[in-house]
Amino acid sequence: MSSNPREDSLAEKRWLNALAKGDSSAMNGLYQLYGEKIFRYTYRMLGNRADAEDATAETFLRVLKRANDLRADGAFKTWLFRIARNLCIDKMRQPKLLEISGERSYSGTEERAALRVTVQNALNELPMDYREPLILCDLEDISAKEAADTLGISVPALKSRLYRGRRALREKLGGSMEKLK
Amino acid sequence: MSDLYRKLVDLYAGNELSEELANELVTAAGQDESLATDMATLKQTVDLLRSDEGPEFNESDYLRIIFRMQTAGADISFAEEDRHPGQYHLPM
Repeated sequence: MSSNPREDSLAEKRWLNALAKGDSSAMNGLYQLYGEKIFRYTYRMLGNRADAEDATAETFLRVLKRANDLRADGAFKTWLFRIARNLCIDKMRQPKLLEISGERSYSGTEERAALRVTVQNALNELPMDYREPLILCDLEDISAKEAADTLGISVPALKSRLYRGRRALREKLGGSMEKLK
Repeated sequence: MSDLYRKLVDLYAGNELSEELANELVTAAGQDESLATDMATLKQTVDLLRSDEGPEFNESDYLRIIFRMQTAGADISFAEEDRHPGQYHLPM
């Protein structure tokens, strides 16, 4: 994904049109555009790489299944996140056979990596109503409108959850922020 | 702390306040220790979240996901300008 939303929007339109015409390279184009975003989102929701990879692959497989119905009307990204979200919720409901812990998923200095693990753990302890807006808006930098559409709620409701979530996260982090500053 | 201040602090922490209002809030915080603490710690929390680069997404992840899709029967080919599927262009 480029850092230019206009370029991304044009690329999205091009790939969606190509996909509707049966161009099999279009799927890879869309994956290049949104794959990392969806992976990061699903990782934040599920907390491990294997499940995030599964959910990301399944999200794009759903795109293929709906290839003929998709329209380049600006709502594709939100639709994609909504699919990913539903898959994550389904996965979270499944019983875990084996919990793999200690997975190294963050790069950078030890301090930065420790900080990120602390934040991820604190996020995992929050109720979903708070966690999801924080992941979408603060961690993945998605607009309030897109986040609200993804969650199926109004923008004021999204903002209310976001603000409460930030305060709840602050309580969870407690002294960690001071230590890791 | 009043509900109004609480709402203003929420907006301040997310950088959603105008510069003028943010300055007024900072001035008010100079006279109110609990307000100053609330502002500083909430802003720090939001900044911490926004500075989080997230989990790594490298070439192996990229290819493993493609492999999972292909295993599930997806026909994914590569466009002419992207003939090197193993070469994932990392964001700069």
